[in-house]
Amino acid sequence: MKKKILILPSLFFFLVLSIFFYLLIIERNPSEIQSNLINKKIPIFEAESLFKNEKFISSNEFKNEITLVNFFATWCRPCRDEHIYIKRFANEKDLKVIGINYKDNPKKTIKWLKDLGNPYKDILIDKNGKIAIDWGVYGIPETFIINSNGIIKYRHVGPITNKIYKKINLIIKKNE
Amino acid sequence: MNRYIPVKFILIIIAISLTQLISNFSFAVEPDEILKNPKYELRARNISKNIRCMVCQNQSIDESNAPLAKDLRILIREKIKEGNKDEEIYKFLTDRYGDFILLKPPLNSKNLILWFLPFIFLILGIYVVFYHNKKSA
Repeated sequence: MKKKILILPSLFFFLVLSIFFYLLIIERNPSEIQSNLINKKIPIFEAESLFKNEKFISSNEFKNEITLVNFFATWCRPCRDEHIYIKRFANEKDLKVIGINYKDNPKKTIKWLKDLGNPYKDILIDKNGKIAIDWGVYGIPETFIINSNGIIKYRHVGPITNKIYKKINLIIKKNE
Repeated sequence: MNRYIPVKFILIIIAISLTQLISNFSFAVEPDEILKNPKYELRARNISKNIRCMVCQNQSIDESNAPLAKDLRILIREKIKEGNKDEEIYKFLTDRYGDFILLKPPLNSKNLILWFLPFIFLILGIYVVFYHNKKSA
């Protein structure tokens, strides 16, 4: 009985050690901070649109269809790198793609989109970064997937790569 | 000649300490950000000292020159001017960025294990040592 009692702490110690080891070997980015908005409603905000004359009111949008929200800027090099994937989402998938132009020059953005192509159904202007704060953004590019009920299901920080593109596709399929 | 070395050494130590002291007082708030009402400004500074700069290494937004830190400092000041209480401002920020944005995270069910695991290990260690000693005696 006494021996058993002595074994228990060692077992507990190895259990904790195994958990740490598991966390080390699984595929994850420990520096990426998980969004606090996952499984929550999208933030309520209003914004100017780059191309449309009417105001974008978030409570009127994000309904009945899956939406991809992408925070980008022309001065952000990784945004240029991921643009090809944003275009693929807009062309190949049945989803609405909305861009939020973060602290940028509208003229430069229009030229940038002319050169690279415009995959966005609407582009909102976040002149002073307040919309980004509302979404808990801390570094662009950032991409969010919102389901047809206006619930945020996924957030990716950094440029979309082929691997992330596949991952987002799976998430879209799950939420269809 | 040699008797001057300790004096030099002491002077170097004082210089280093002063540099450290000055660096501790440094902050990134720019003149245009400062509120006219000193009470409001003090509140903003106190909140900013508790808010983590999300893109820096263990710095508060009060000390950081990062653009996001500046945006958050301005936002905090706006919220104070709008009449928000400190708790409401903290809630606004944690709702969006999680408890990670607080430099002193509160004790809750998500981080309970982090707070108590060292104590559990300490108790287990004492127990094992105590039991082992008792047995060998």
